[in-house]
Amino acid sequence: MEKGCVFNIQKYSVHDGPGIRTIVYLKGCPLRCKWCCNPESQLEKPQIAYNIEKCIGDVCLLCEGVCPRHNIAFMDTNKVWIDHGNCINCLQCAKVCPAGAIISYGEYREASDVVDEVERDLTFYSRSGGGMTLSGGEPLLQADYALALLKEAKRRGINTAIETCGCVPWKRAEEVFSYLDYAFFDIKSMDAQKHKEWTGWDNSVVLDTFRNMREAYPELKTRVRTPVVPGFNDTEDDIRAIRDLARSYPNTDYELLRYHRYGTTKYTFIGKEYELGDQELDDALFERLKQISNEE
Amino acid sequence: MSNVSECCRTLSPQEQHLADIAKGDTSYKKGRERVFKILDRVQNLKPVIDAERAKYFTQSMITTEGEHLTLRWAKAMMNIAKNITVYVEEDSLICGRAGCQGRYGILYPELDGDIYEEAIRLLPTRTTSPFDMSEETIDTILTDIAPFWDGKTFFNDLYNALPEDTLKLTYEPEEKATSRFIVNETASFRSSNQWVHDYEKVLKRGFKSIKEEAQAKLDALDPMDPLDNVNKKPFYEAIVIVCDAIVLWANRYADLYEREAQKCADPVRKQEMEKIAERCRHVPEYPARDFPEAIQSQWFVQMFSRLEQKTGTIISNGRMDQYLYPYYKADKDAGKLTDQQAMEYLECMWVGMSQFIDLYMSTTGGAFNEGYAHWEAVTIGGQNSEGKDATNELTYLFLRSKREFPMHYPDLAARVHALSPQRYIEEVAETIKEGSGFPKLLNDEEIVLQLVSNGAKIGEAYDYAVSGCAEARMPNRDTFTSPGVYINFASAIEMVMYNGRTLKTGDEVLGLQTGEVEDLKTWDDVWNAYVAQATNLLKHAFVQQKYIDRLREKHFAVPMSSSLHDLCMKEGLDLHTEFIPGGVDIGYFESMGFGTVVDSLAAIKKCVFDEKSTTLAEIRDAMRANFKGYEILQQRLRMAPKYGNDDPYADEIGKACDLVCSEFTEKYSRSLGINYCLRYVPFTSHVPFGEVVGATPNGRVAWFPLSDGSSASQGDDTNGPTAVLLSNFYTKNPSFHDRAARLLNIKFDPSAVAGQEGTDKLCSFIRTWCDLKLWHVQFNVVNRETLVAAQKDPDKYRGLIVRIAGYSAYFCDLSPSLQDDLIARTQTATI
Repeated sequence: MEKGCVFNIQKYSVHDGPGIRTIVYLKGCPLRCKWCCNPESQLEKPQIAYNIEKCIGDVCLLCEGVCPRHNIAFMDTNKVWIDHGNCINCLQCAKVCPAGAIISYGEYREASDVVDEVERDLTFYSRSGGGMTLSGGEPLLQADYALALLKEAKRRGINTAIETCGCVPWKRAEEVFSYLDYAFFDIKSMDAQKHKEWTGWDNSVVLDTFRNMREAYPELKTRVRTPVVPGFNDTEDDIRAIRDLARSYPNTDYELLRYHRYGTTKYTFIGKEYELGDQELDDALFERLKQISNEE
Repeated sequence: MSNVSECCRTLSPQEQHLADIAKGDTSYKKGRERVFKILDRVQNLKPVIDAERAKYFTQSMITTEGEHLTLRWAKAMMNIAKNITVYVEEDSLICGRAGCQGRYGILYPELDGDIYEEAIRLLPTRTTSPFDMSEETIDTILTDIAPFWDGKTFFNDLYNALPEDTLKLTYEPEEKATSRFIVNETASFRSSNQWVHDYEKVLKRGFKSIKEEAQAKLDALDPMDPLDNVNKKPFYEAIVIVCDAIVLWANRYADLYEREAQKCADPVRKQEMEKIAERCRHVPEYPARDFPEAIQSQWFVQMFSRLEQKTGTIISNGRMDQYLYPYYKADKDAGKLTDQQAMEYLECMWVGMSQFIDLYMSTTGGAFNEGYAHWEAVTIGGQNSEGKDATNELTYLFLRSKREFPMHYPDLAARVHALSPQRYIEEVAETIKEGSGFPKLLNDEEIVLQLVSNGAKIGEAYDYAVSGCAEARMPNRDTFTSPGVYINFASAIEMVMYNGRTLKTGDEVLGLQTGEVEDLKTWDDVWNAYVAQATNLLKHAFVQQKYIDRLREKHFAVPMSSSLHDLCMKEGLDLHTEFIPGGVDIGYFESMGFGTVVDSLAAIKKCVFDEKSTTLAEIRDAMRANFKGYEILQQRLRMAPKYGNDDPYADEIGKACDLVCSEFTEKYSRSLGINYCLRYVPFTSHVPFGEVVGATPNGRVAWFPLSDGSSASQGDDTNGPTAVLLSNFYTKNPSFHDRAARLLNIKFDPSAVAGQEGTDKLCSFIRTWCDLKLWHVQFNVVNRETLVAAQKDPDKYRGLIVRIAGYSAYFCDLSPSLQDDLIARTQTATI
């Protein structure tokens, strides 16, 4: 059976689709959004993450001894320091760390094994109309694996949803949508240039996949979502443009997601820097944009 | 996340409300001026001890030695009714209290009068539930009360009765009254388990009718029969006296209010007082005629019942939305009563309840019930005796009152069943979201089944009332049982690791000598050693319980409670009688530290026998060193599978641990003569029980609280609330009937239940909990940050109510270690 790289399975998710859901996070994403709140999802293979708060320091130092690249040093703060840049993600340090300070994000798992875990909450799904949501990263990047997961879930009567950024060629994504009950489709900007500047790619593949999807599966309940990011797409025109696209299709609603910085600690965990700093989205502005997003 | 800014937090309505109050907003009092006036007066007063009840009780008991115990008790109640001070309840619409004004506790010297000297010294300064008392009170206690009870209390007899090997697991060898928290008795600080009266009987019939029933029974006795003469005659005489006593007491209130009304200058209040006097003249002697009389009558019964005896966690209120409904409906239909007025009467009762404090003279008792806890559970919803849904308009009014007036009393208990209407579940969810922990939920689908399997008729089982913290009672089928043993199974883990000893008690061998850990070669060896140690504790627990059950009826009687029980009136037996024909005796013993035990065994199995990364001897050495120098090992043990995560590895061990208790109970509960059920309800005692347990193999450091109830170890349920429910489900042994409540705490971040979407999902969560046939669940909807802030700055958060263990209390009334424990409970936020 198909194996794929999964970095988290989150039970009792209540904000991503109908009912009580379990989110399966697939690793790997074609985009590099500057505001990304799951930076550990971007790389398409397992990688280490280090939470300095959990490191127990000089009484341990097991990681220092196993690193083949000598990337790990002990510091006078009684914590270790990791040179992420030189890391080859051999994961040895994560295997020996007793405290869960160094962990591996991502593991290759059989689809049936993942759905077994998802199915444990079946009784909650049937009561609430919930089920499994594939997320990421970009789940369509592992399209065959996503398909295997969805087919297996459907076989067991589990409701399915996906969260996608759509930046995957339609031909590769197409079949996945036939096994879905619900889709969350991110459209971040209608402006190709800004899209490229803030995510690494322009929006042509995204829009192409979106239009194809709406035409091929007009019945599929879909919610277009836009994370409102200060300085990127926080203008009335930006939101209006995306809203109009969404509204031009049946069974499609539109939702704005408020910018947050909950993911910033995870940047530190994987040795990256959060580019957007500490700017906040203005409350009043967001409320106004929300009103616009709700206009017919 | 560490860097979430203040603005991103969702506040629960309670937190919002506290923030508003801090800003000086008083709009929440609108429409509730009366009850807030009372509440503001009493809320922050430190409780004081009132010795009047004990004084008049003792005064009478001195003169009746040798007589039938129920009759003695009735005479004592009459002496109290005649002499205890009666008080005008300023602003309130009801009256009747068991002690002085403000927050007060009263004494029950028949339980523990011989420890008063020591207790008086410790009370004002103890960290858990402290009390104040006047010089005069101390004098009364030491001269008029304590001397008579010296050598006569229940505690004294129990201490003398217990065999040596059971005794050493029960009390500290040097300090007689101090628990060892291993095989812990709770019978010497409460005379019976929680109870619910048949209030409906009083409302419908009144005590005059009950007295006539007793009189008729007396007349029907065979005047020649020695048994009738010796047992039944004094019993029914006692009933006659106690019916007179409560009526006399009520009439003293009527007199007082008539006098005070004449002096009252405010015409509105004057009229209110005249009305109150009129009601006290009529109830509880006669049937209640309207809603206010029903409230007053019920209140007199519950307060008189507190004067009668210290029942475990106090008499609950029963199915109030059922027995009050006819009065509510009739008054509303007649245009005599609005919902606002009905709530005002009820809320006068709630503020009355909050002033009576369940006083525990022993430090052990105080530690069990932190925050001055008592549980007059008000049951709402559920099914009627036909098995049909029983919710009505009054049900919804109780929920509304709790949302709008979120005080920590009464403890609101919502019965849920498969066909509970959606409106009910939604309003329950909305009330939970308010954030003060109410209501707790009890599951008909499990409880009715369990009551029937223990001998109840199915219609009675459908009509059960929630009692105390998480139990159920059928007021005319259940009979009194003795408070049960709390068994510290985490100590059994220590005894496995230290060959029968614990870290705290050092060289003294307390358990069985199951061998040094070096001799335990396989997982089966370890498991068998645990089973042996646990079974040994169970043996001593059951021995202790047998003595307790036998002694109880020699020390306690309850004429008024007996007068309200069909079986007692039929048989002429006090409700304390060890066995009453036709009665169902359901008692409980407590499994303490379930999560701690399961996680310890899982860590040993995983690390020593599966991964072979350590040895039992190394774990023992690490435990002895409290993991100092063994930090890597401690972390490995912490990473092992944990109960509460829907992980079959841990949950199968949990089920096996539960089975050890269930099999023992199945075999020996019958020799106790009662349905002695396994329960997981710690109150707040997982804190003191943890204080006697050294470091454990799950990586827990020495003296830290044990896991509470059937909840996971603090902070170790990292897989979300669905996993918590499923672990609970998979560790049960449903084929055994001797099982009772499993108390389950779930903490939600307010953002996880925000908005209509949050309500819907909470409803689904509750429905699934019901499907899984789990006994109980309760929720805390509060931000961790709020609790931390309240700990630092209590004055700003005096009004913060949190859910603890079957009850809610003011956070700032709790000891620092319990506060820490609450903060440590895992919180489910959104992703």
